[in-house]
Amino acid sequence: MQKQSEWEWKIESHTKWNKWGLKELWQYKDLINRFVRRDLIANYQQTVLGPFWIFLQPVLTTIVYWVIFSKIANISTDGVSPVLFYLPGIIIWSYFSDCLNGTMYTFLQNSALFNKIYFPRLIIPFSHIIVHSVRLLIQLLLFTGVYVFYLIVSETLKPNVYILLLPVLILITAGFSLGAGLIISVITARYRDLDYVLQFILRLFMFATPVVYPTSLVPEKYQFVFWLNPLTPVIETFRTAFFSNGTFHFGYLFLSIISVGILLFTGIVLFKKKELRIMDII
Amino acid sequence: MIKVENISKYYQLGKFGSGRLREDFKNWWDKSFITQPEKDRSANGIWALKDISFEVAAGEVLGIIGNNGAGKSTLLKIISRITAPSNGCIMGNGRVTSLLEIGTGFHGELTGRENIYLNGHILGMKKKEIRERFDEIVDFSGVEKFIDTPVKRYSSGMYTRLAFAVAAHMDPEILIVDEVLAVGDAEFQRKSLGKMKEVSSKQGKTILLVSHNMQALKNLCNRAIVLHKGELINMGDPEIVIENYLKKEKTYNIFQEFDNMELAPGNDAIRIKKVELKPEYLPGQEVIDIRTPLNVYFEFWNLDHTVGSLIAGVLLFNMAGECIFDVGSEGDTSLTGLIEGRCRIPGNFLNDGSYYISIAFVKDTTNRLFYFESCLSFDVEDYRKNTAWYGKWIGHVRPSFPVILRPKEI
Repeated sequence: MQKQSEWEWKIESHTKWNKWGLKELWQYKDLINRFVRRDLIANYQQTVLGPFWIFLQPVLTTIVYWVIFSKIANISTDGVSPVLFYLPGIIIWSYFSDCLNGTMYTFLQNSALFNKIYFPRLIIPFSHIIVHSVRLLIQLLLFTGVYVFYLIVSETLKPNVYILLLPVLILITAGFSLGAGLIISVITARYRDLDYVLQFILRLFMFATPVVYPTSLVPEKYQFVFWLNPLTPVIETFRTAFFSNGTFHFGYLFLSIISVGILLFTGIVLFKKKELRIMDII
Repeated sequence: MIKVENISKYYQLGKFGSGRLREDFKNWWDKSFITQPEKDRSANGIWALKDISFEVAAGEVLGIIGNNGAGKSTLLKIISRITAPSNGCIMGNGRVTSLLEIGTGFHGELTGRENIYLNGHILGMKKKEIRERFDEIVDFSGVEKFIDTPVKRYSSGMYTRLAFAVAAHMDPEILIVDEVLAVGDAEFQRKSLGKMKEVSSKQGKTILLVSHNMQALKNLCNRAIVLHKGELINMGDPEIVIENYLKKEKTYNIFQEFDNMELAPGNDAIRIKKVELKPEYLPGQEVIDIRTPLNVYFEFWNLDHTVGSLIAGVLLFNMAGECIFDVGSEGDTSLTGLIEGRCRIPGNFLNDGSYYISIAFVKDTTNRLFYFESCLSFDVEDYRKNTAWYGKWIGHVRPSFPVILRPKEI
């Protein structure tokens, strides 16, 4: 007879809050890899333009914003060419909202799979984040191309050292969407109408984020609240790095790292704690 | 090696809808701020499993038997870590793979090749392991030609074969299988059962198996447990456990008697007094199997006094409603009052399965007096000796006349 301590695994009725199973997640890295491939391949099956859509989406959105917000509504772009001004906001925002939309339905969309087979559930949201990160990197290439073009034709454009912060900006955005997505995925599994509310909030949230306007347009008394949005310092730092005319607040950037860290931690703890319980109610 | 200790599983029943948030809040409030002894939880839910404990040794094949709703699938889901137990714990050693459904996680847009990798990874295989077995898997599935075609274009047979091929080539230490044997055609079942046998006997894997195929369980398992309404009611040698289970669980309807003629089924012409099925068991046998001869015995009042010849027909149907046979008595004009009838179905004639009998009373070959529909029902269990094949034996009947081979005389 084996002793208690010699068991390799143990299933209990309650999951401890600090058991994240990250080691196990690493063992399943092949599966994450495969899910990422699946999503990247399957998404563009039987489409005419295929992966070209990754470029086309930000380009079309930029054109629409340029016409509506710059030409018609006449909203300032802080002296930067509108196309160049909108691109970072659009890229970061769509990365955030794609990641969030990908992760917040983890349980609802995969209930058939989750009901039949075990693998660490965190794999699904993680692989969504990776898929969208790949698309983000491709879109950043597009941005670089456009940027280099403007760098040649325009003399006022100046890049600076903050460009090195770009990976941090991506990590903040990814962490924010993952943390929020995990929490929401647990809640929507139980209260489905939250979904409708969230889509509405998400649309409003875009306008609370400096995607189509510069931060300088926000009245002084709302600036503090405005900068509490973790995406504000991200987009503003991005613009500062490439255009040297945005607003860079190291303090707010640091604050957003902290708040995203707390959100992500809460999200993972909640997700791990509830992942098995949810299967009974879904 | 698995040790299951006092596992219970409680499922909440009732409202899933608008009142949810309020109800949840109330429950939380009650639990957190109003300290009262824990109420009987079974009030608005059910216990799918109650205090189940057992152990499975390494290399053992354990069969799990029970009716629908006995908790078999819940138990497998808990061991597979798909849902959490409400109480108790399970401990084990070794990599667990569960096959609760074939083809879980297949993606229609991806090719067969991509899906082999995807499904293999979902089932917990490493990239290297899949690559090593890739050719074997493709070979086993027999879909080489279509391996680079999206699986949504596959026929359902190809799809199942490919999915099973992936599952069959995994290398778990503990395998959990739920009714996988029940799908597919006879050929597929033969293949999958053969593979199971190979895995358990040659490779010494621990297997937990849920099946309604008693013949397969008897052949594959070292031990069986019986669940009934969430409780473990029997455990031990599969032969004995299965025999007991069949005896207890099956609700045959093999006897009906009506003393009061007015209330008995029938009409002005015919009233049924008694119908009975009498199996001729071998010594010590208590379950009808394919060897058992069956006697259908019935008594009825013939109240029809008009002239004509009376025929009673015994019709046997399988559960799909297909008529296996329809045999009738010879016409007799002299029978009135209480009459008895009998019919013997020989042993080694019916295939295993569930059957019901109807009795028809006809006058002058065309005029139906009364049709006593599905008045008797029974199951015929499988019995095989010295055979390596234990999938479902096909055919409506299973007679035992010989097929003879011999060298041709020239």
